[in-house]
Amino acid sequence: MKYLVKPFEDVGKNTARMIVIFWIGALLLIWFLTSMGERHLFPSPQQVLTGFVELYNEGLVVHIASSLWLCVIAIFVAIIISLILTYLSTIPVIKPIAIAVSKLRYLPLTGITFYLAILISNARTMQIWVLVTFMSTYLTTSLLSMVNAIGEQEFDHARSLKCNRWEVLWEVVVKGRIDHVIEVIRQNLAIVWMMLVTVESILVAAGGLGFLIKNSDKFMNHGRIIALQIVILTLGLSIDFILSFIRKTFFRYSKI
Amino acid sequence: MSYSKHNTLLYVENLSVAYGDKVIIKDINFVEKDVVREGSVTGQVIAFVGRSGRGKSTLFRALTGLVKPTTGKILIADTLTDGGNDAKEVEEGDVGFVDQKYTLFRNKTVYEALLFALRNQKMTKEEKHDKIMSYLSEWGLEKAKDQYPNELSGGQRQRTAIIEQIFCSGHYMVLDEPFSGLDVGNIEDAKNAFNLISSLHSFNTIMYSTHDIELAVELADSIYVIGYPTIDGEHAHYGTIVKHFDMKALNLAWKEFGLGHLEIVKQIKTAMLAS
Ligand SMILES: Nc1ncnc2c1ncn2[C@@H]1O[C@H](COP(=O)(O)OP(=O)(O)OP(=O)(O)O)[C@@H](O)[C@H]1O
Ligand SMILES: [Mg+2]
Repeated sequence: MKYLVKPFEDVGKNTARMIVIFWIGALLLIWFLTSMGERHLFPSPQQVLTGFVELYNEGLVVHIASSLWLCVIAIFVAIIISLILTYLSTIPVIKPIAIAVSKLRYLPLTGITFYLAILISNARTMQIWVLVTFMSTYLTTSLLSMVNAIGEQEFDHARSLKCNRWEVLWEVVVKGRIDHVIEVIRQNLAIVWMMLVTVESILVAAGGLGFLIKNSDKFMNHGRIIALQIVILTLGLSIDFILSFIRKTFFRYSKI
Repeated sequence: MSYSKHNTLLYVENLSVAYGDKVIIKDINFVEKDVVREGSVTGQVIAFVGRSGRGKSTLFRALTGLVKPTTGKILIADTLTDGGNDAKEVEEGDVGFVDQKYTLFRNKTVYEALLFALRNQKMTKEEKHDKIMSYLSEWGLEKAKDQYPNELSGGQRQRTAIIEQIFCSGHYMVLDEPFSGLDVGNIEDAKNAFNLISSLHSFNTIMYSTHDIELAVELADSIYVIGYPTIDGEHAHYGTIVKHFDMKALNLAWKEFGLGHLEIVKQIKTAMLAS
């Protein structure tokens, strides 16, 4: 047993799995125990289940679809903007613009929403553009460091094969790093997902998970809130898993 | 062994390269000519040796046109025109370059990479396919045909990188430390590759660097020692050619490694230690 608490110790696959199962069991046990009495911090599993059923009856699926759709559109627009900026950042005149966009990630949310509100009246469009603005800055930051991480030898290799500079850009940076782009999206997904729910609850539009959270807050319905949190967490992890799966299946050479 | 020298293939005059204020190599001058031997096609094999950090890789980046010389010029034969007597300044892509790490496109399989190297050739699809397949079998890479660089061994990567350059660039090829990290078998393969390239065309010129002096002496017909020169009793801190051995004139080229070669190894080591 002693080896289980030894730093850097390599335990077998089965043991590792047992450890995970142990912790999940422990978590559930703690939940049961701490939610048994009259007064408790967490709702009991029973309450959560009820919350879940309630949510379902209120059209949880539609809200999920609405959030996912918002997420897809925002990521799509943001990644296009960031990719264009990043690829063009290899051109000296464009470089400062890309770097500036990346620095804008320190701007506060409120400032941006304020100016966007002047331009856009529709709440849904507004949600999209707030997200796009934010994600573009984060994605551009990650993508820029992806390009910086490309070694000089890779460029030299392409140049020695008679690639002109545009071909070098195309072959080494664009085609040669598509798998990295997926990884960048995946790594920034947590921020996006968190932002998305927040933005949805601030700028209430047709619906979405953020809208549900806000509603649950109002009623102080603990079971509902936890049920919703579980849904949001699971959805986020699923997208994460799918992206990682796509990268590994479609890009055999991708070992990041 | 009788030989004669013909057209100038490589002409380097007053070459220096500086990164910012830091002069890395300076005062580099040398000329290599086409060597012609009766009865066989003989390319040129030129070795560069020198201690670490003396500027071999920097010189190679200049020779391949990947970095612009700070001063001086590098001329190569313009082999596209007939006669091969015209000279042109070297540009990126003229000289093949296999770097120290055998870099390849990470997203292309061996086959795709070679197809890419042939992209500018005026050949039909079938001709390209046949050419690639014949090289793959000749270089022992058929099994690796559909593998990506991260699925290849060091030796396989190196051979792929060499074939890429043979396909794409003309008669010149620079290899930076082609023997490092290879086992005895791979080194034999690489040696055979040298002979193969050299036997393909009289203009073919291989330039390589190595820390294995014996391999330099065994394979090359011309050896340059790059080191810090001593000027007025003081070491200068830039690399230059401190010694040149013309193995052809010494009657040691294209021969089995013997006592004469051993003597040169000794001389090279002395020159390296002093620079
Ligand atoms: N991009 C660069 N900017 C500044 N200095 C550089 C750069 N590249 C190389 N140098 C310097 O130039 C010198 C020569 O480096 P180079 O790589 O040419 O040596 P080398 O002879 O190939 O060494 P090795 O045998 O270890 O490969 C070193 O002192 C190195 O620090
Ligand atoms: Mg080097």
